[in-house]
Amino acid sequence: MFLHNLLAGDGVQCVAQFGRDLLFRDYRISSQNDDRIAFSIDLALFHRALRSALSILQSQGGGGDPADGGGSQLQIQIKLLKKIPAGSQQPTPFLSFETKGYKSAVIHDVPISKPLSRADVTELQTALDMAQELPQTLVQVPDLPQLQNLVDRLKNVGDILSISITQYGDLHLQVSTGLVTVGSEFRRLRVLGGRADAPPGDQNLSAPSRTRLAMERGEAQSVQVSMKHLAKSIQCHLTKPDCAFYGIAPQGACLTVIFQFFIPGTRQMDKSISLHCRLPVLDTGSV
Amino acid sequence: MSSSAVEVDEAADLVCQLDCVQGMVDALSSVRWKRHQSSPGQDAVVELSEHGIVLIVEETGCLQAKVYLRRELFVTYEYSAEGRPRFGLSLGLFVDCLNTFSSPGHAPVIEIRYPDPDMQLILKSVDSSNVCIYAEIRTRIPDTISWDYNFGPARNAPASFTIKAISLYLHTAPTYLTAVLKEAIDDLEWPSSTIQILLQPEPPSVVFKGEGHGDLQVPNNTYKYKFLRATTSNIAGSVLKDNRGSKLTFGRGGMLKIQHLVSVVKPGIQHPYTDSSGLQQPSRIAYLEFYVKPEEDEGSVDD
Repeated sequence: MFLHNLLAGDGVQCVAQFGRDLLFRDYRISSQNDDRIAFSIDLALFHRALRSALSILQSQGGGGDPADGGGSQLQIQIKLLKKIPAGSQQPTPFLSFETKGYKSAVIHDVPISKPLSRADVTELQTALDMAQELPQTLVQVPDLPQLQNLVDRLKNVGDILSISITQYGDLHLQVSTGLVTVGSEFRRLRVLGGRADAPPGDQNLSAPSRTRLAMERGEAQSVQVSMKHLAKSIQCHLTKPDCAFYGIAPQGACLTVIFQFFIPGTRQMDKSISLHCRLPVLDTGSV
Repeated sequence: MSSSAVEVDEAADLVCQLDCVQGMVDALSSVRWKRHQSSPGQDAVVELSEHGIVLIVEETGCLQAKVYLRRELFVTYEYSAEGRPRFGLSLGLFVDCLNTFSSPGHAPVIEIRYPDPDMQLILKSVDSSNVCIYAEIRTRIPDTISWDYNFGPARNAPASFTIKAISLYLHTAPTYLTAVLKEAIDDLEWPSSTIQILLQPEPPSVVFKGEGHGDLQVPNNTYKYKFLRATTSNIAGSVLKDNRGSKLTFGRGGMLKIQHLVSVVKPGIQHPYTDSSGLQQPSRIAYLEFYVKPEEDEGSVDD
């Protein structure tokens, strides 16, 4: 389970969870804290170690999927351990990646923090439980490249983005500055949760007026988020999700983006992977 | 939120539809010579008429560019104004907004409408009922164009400045001329900021010549390098590749006119080899014109 920025209030929060059996063929853990261990790790170093391990597996024809269970000798062993680094007396905790190819083995030790205390883990768990709270209405964005492209272009226009989601399945993004208003509305999206039928005749209205009317009827929510945050959350597309859902948390607390992954070759959601982001809502009360 | 919510279909001066946003972006970007500076950006004046849309940008009275988007470029063009309405806007914003509509692998149809009740320019995608992109651009009362150069025949220009030389050049390498021109101007990394242009009939050629300081002997006109550079430096690579050619003309008082043709074709229906002469339907071409004033005759070169 990877938690990013969960306790900081001002950035994008990101939570990724993997089922144990999805990633690991063999998995052993033991700790005094209900067999849970939490630590923080530098993302860049972690990423480098993973890439390096992957490249060894691929260059030696290992396919890079340790879960395929084909009896392959090629595998990565990941261990939590303490080592005394050169020039130091203190044992330091590391996450160690040992990659065995046919001809070579490479070990990457990525420094990590000390294991978090029981209190810290409890705090994280509470934050995590809160982060799992689902928005009342979620709409599905089917075409992620299109959304990504749009956000790339909107970035040039302004820094603050209004996002409105209606219970009819409309997602409306709008950037407004003193000189220009640019927006995009995606309509008739799949709705999860609270839904309503669009009032007749509303297709003749412009996107801003449709959104305004839906807000007046209490069938839509609207928040403002930082364009930078949205762009960051869209980087999650690098994980090649199969679809994404957008929703606004109760009381407009945050914008929630939930990514879904299908079981390869099917249209069925893979429940062993979960990834979602929460974008802080900008305070607009003072305007 | 803007107040354009009211859906009154008041008679707009212009409602037109365009199916090649990228071509229009290319054409307009070519005159965006202040792109790399931050604010305040570049102001443009747009003039509407029954023949099409003209966008004019200028700088310090020495360099002016016009982009002619003729009505034939548009899928529909409904013009219902009297006279020729003009408005000012930020060129950078306009291009950025247009860019919002274009996406790889998808050529949207957009509607351009002016004005809305707030005198804004409205852009709206109209090709899908499920995804709608729109932009509302605030317009201004236009600045007066400091010079509206009537480019008459250059009767009092020296005879050696014949267009024949240029057209010969055009015949030798019609496809690459703009690229060659751009390269030549980019390469003019010479000590002087002043460039002299010579046209020679024998052998047919155009000569760009940079003079050292205080060494101006030739009675021909000279042009500031930075202005000359602006006439080619912002042209997109895709335009150069599929280029229709450029044309240099000298007018009264040594005014240099550089004309580029930019094809505005919906992606996917482009057949570069269908016409061996390299000509496309003239209706699918946007005309860019740059006017560069010669340097004042002071003998001193600064800047």
